[in-house]
Amino acid sequence: MRRTSKGDPSGATGPYPLLAADRRLASDRDLKGLILKHYLGAYKAKGLLGRKPVAWVTSGAPVEILLALDILPVYPENYGALIGSRKAAVAYCEEAERAGYSQDLCSYARTNIGSMLTGRGELGGRPLPRPDLLVAAKNICGVVVKWWEVTARHFGCPLFIVDTPFAADGLTPAQVTYVRGQLEELIVFASRAIHRPPPSREAFEGRLLGVLELTRQATALWQDIQVLRQASPTPASALDMFTNLFPIVTLRGSALCVEYYRKVRAELAERVDQGLGAVDGERFRLIWDNIAIWYDFDLVRYLHARGAAFVGETYTDAWGVYQYRPEDAADPLEAMARLYSQVLLNVGLEVRKERLFRMVRAQRAHGVVFHSCRSCKTYSLGQYELSRAVRDELGLPTLVIEADMTDSRAFSAGPTKTRLDAFLELLAAGCAPASPNLA
Amino acid sequence: MTESDHSAADHSASLARLVAASRDPLAAGGAGVSGGAGPASASSPSAARSGRRPVVGYVCSYVPEEIILAAGCHPLRLGARPGPTGPVDSCLQSFACSFARGLLDGLLSGQGRGLGGVVFAHTCDSLRAALEAWKARKPAGSFTHFLNLPACVEGSGAAEYTASEFGRLAEALPAVEGARPVTAQALTEAAELMTVLRRELSRLDVLRSERPDLLKGSQLLAIARGAATLDREEATRLVRGVADGLMGPATAAGPAPRPRRPRILVSGGFLETEEPLRLVEEAGADVVGDDLCLAGRALAFSGAGCDIRRERSPAADVPALLSALSQAYLSRVPCPTKHPPSRRLEFLLAEVKSRQVDGVVFLLQKFCDPHAFDYPAFREALEASGRPCLSLEIERGGLPAGQAGTRVEAFLERLRFVGPSADGGGGPP
Repeated sequence: MRRTSKGDPSGATGPYPLLAADRRLASDRDLKGLILKHYLGAYKAKGLLGRKPVAWVTSGAPVEILLALDILPVYPENYGALIGSRKAAVAYCEEAERAGYSQDLCSYARTNIGSMLTGRGELGGRPLPRPDLLVAAKNICGVVVKWWEVTARHFGCPLFIVDTPFAADGLTPAQVTYVRGQLEELIVFASRAIHRPPPSREAFEGRLLGVLELTRQATALWQDIQVLRQASPTPASALDMFTNLFPIVTLRGSALCVEYYRKVRAELAERVDQGLGAVDGERFRLIWDNIAIWYDFDLVRYLHARGAAFVGETYTDAWGVYQYRPEDAADPLEAMARLYSQVLLNVGLEVRKERLFRMVRAQRAHGVVFHSCRSCKTYSLGQYELSRAVRDELGLPTLVIEADMTDSRAFSAGPTKTRLDAFLELLAAGCAPASPNLA
Repeated sequence: MTESDHSAADHSASLARLVAASRDPLAAGGAGVSGGAGPASASSPSAARSGRRPVVGYVCSYVPEEIILAAGCHPLRLGARPGPTGPVDSCLQSFACSFARGLLDGLLSGQGRGLGGVVFAHTCDSLRAALEAWKARKPAGSFTHFLNLPACVEGSGAAEYTASEFGRLAEALPAVEGARPVTAQALTEAAELMTVLRRELSRLDVLRSERPDLLKGSQLLAIARGAATLDREEATRLVRGVADGLMGPATAAGPAPRPRRPRILVSGGFLETEEPLRLVEEAGADVVGDDLCLAGRALAFSGAGCDIRRERSPAADVPALLSALSQAYLSRVPCPTKHPPSRRLEFLLAEVKSRQVDGVVFLLQKFCDPHAFDYPAFREALEASGRPCLSLEIERGGLPAGQAGTRVEAFLERLRFVGPSADGGGGPP
């Protein structure tokens, strides 16, 4: 991924003049290594000497089951973000559109379908390694179900859908039973897909509990990191967190993930001790809602340069949900069914509002920026209600930006900058708008 | 007047009543339906006093009308509000599915004031958002239920889970003012009624394929919407009247079928009007089949359909009947929001063959993800079977008439140039 290092404001060539460089984390260097290692591992698994089966999974898939079966998960959504951050997504999207996929469809999906159809990609020119099996969990959206169906047709590959009914404001016993039953079925499905007999329950559960413990540790560290960001000035802003999301999404359930977040936590704790902020002269503390705009980090830098730091993101916070408890060892599949059913994008607006308000208060935020992401309906639809609630109930200013996470054609930098300026003025005035304005 | 003349007059009146109801469902069905004999008769004092049954609007063809009827309510299929957008603009972004936006717009505009309640169902991300926005804005105390259906219609536990959701609906509905508890008898009678109504609609579905000169595809869609609006017993009588009239002796003695025109199947979601089909017909083709939410796909129950009478025995209780009903609904030709999609493609391929279809018109709702994802692969499979395809983008049931008309005419020209499909075309069926 493209990165701006301290003292090298490469974004100065972009549409936003930079007044100061943001202070990046030293652990970024390790992160680059992790990303490289992950993707190289996936190619190696499918190479001449490769022996490890590869599964393409969604970001909300119960990946611990696959890890316990020694299957390597690969995340097309992350690959979409990677291509987006290289500003290369439009060409792949256009390939998908030429094949008949509407420009209105999710740009992660179009980017991946374009890569899949052309056999080209952004990792040494190669697409993602061919999958042996496909697993999609509906807990993040209905789109992934359709996207994975397209993928299954293309590769002629076995596909498993983890159907997680909407958990509006809780789960019914029937929902838990339904999802848990599917997780049982996934174990058998995945074993068959890789031509192995299903494992014995005892042996499998032992391995699964080990993986879940690593997920729990990584989640706890991730939450610690979010708590450290409550400091003023905040030791990490959105750019750090968007990029540092990679391990909790892609390496969740591995020792590497835990090891990496220990380093990040230590670095942030050190910054807090030293009173060192991610942004020089922090004046405003903001919350970001929705996926990052991967092709335009300069937008965030523009705010940094004006003393506005992001102290929390609903997007990064969402990965703190996998909090397994010791008592879950009695029935780990049920615990997984519960947690995977209640991820941020599978709960109702009231629950999302509670979580957002909690974050605003805990991080002592002054305002919220909503990225209305054209590609992501589950995340974006409902933001108008949330924005209204932040303004009316918390009395804080909000801003809704129209964009897309990877397709830059849906984003207009100039007008967005003008709106950021107006938002900054509002923050400087220290008040919410007198009359709600959704636009 | 001869008997044939009487029959023709009767079926014309029935047709007119159904079509009129389809034009304005909220006016025709939204004000309540007179109670009377049959499974849907009201028993509560307030409903009995008013002589009207409470009307429950619903938004998806996976919401079982049988349960709403068994609760003593009148089921009314809701669609998008026509015309320019109103209050929805302050709730949902423009990239939400146009059907979901139009539906919410109608509810927020107060068009459903006469409704005793609304039942949403899990379908897609946009409709889920519409539900959430409605919950935040609906009048205090108004009945709203979310039927949290699975996305997978096959696989471990899907039927049991669906039955549990049907059970939640049955338990919730008596909270509607004037509704009554769902009993096994009422559920069985409602299922019988719906089975008969769907059977009568299926007769017309066959007729529009065999004699499109007698019944147009656009008319069938209007009839189906009228039947989803009116009292189901009345609708059954009317549909039967149309079918008997069109298929009776007068037809046999009537004019011979007209020369073959290009035979089209349309595929898409819910349509508020039959205008898109009429556009195809006015351009010189016959719509002889469809894969639409309200007509073809809604009738495509496998086997005995939603007939759960086999469960009718002294021992049959509500859970057993709901279990049978859930299996019937899951066995339908699935909507694109359901997984797996293969059954719908198989249905389409079988339909284009059996109905000797020459070309397929996809009516893709603006910002509808499920249909848009299926479209490229379905088009490829249909074109491989010798059926050229055309896709048109619709919004709130309508098409941009001038541009769409030109594209349809060009498509029909292409069909005439290519000629009838190899495995079915070549003449009237």
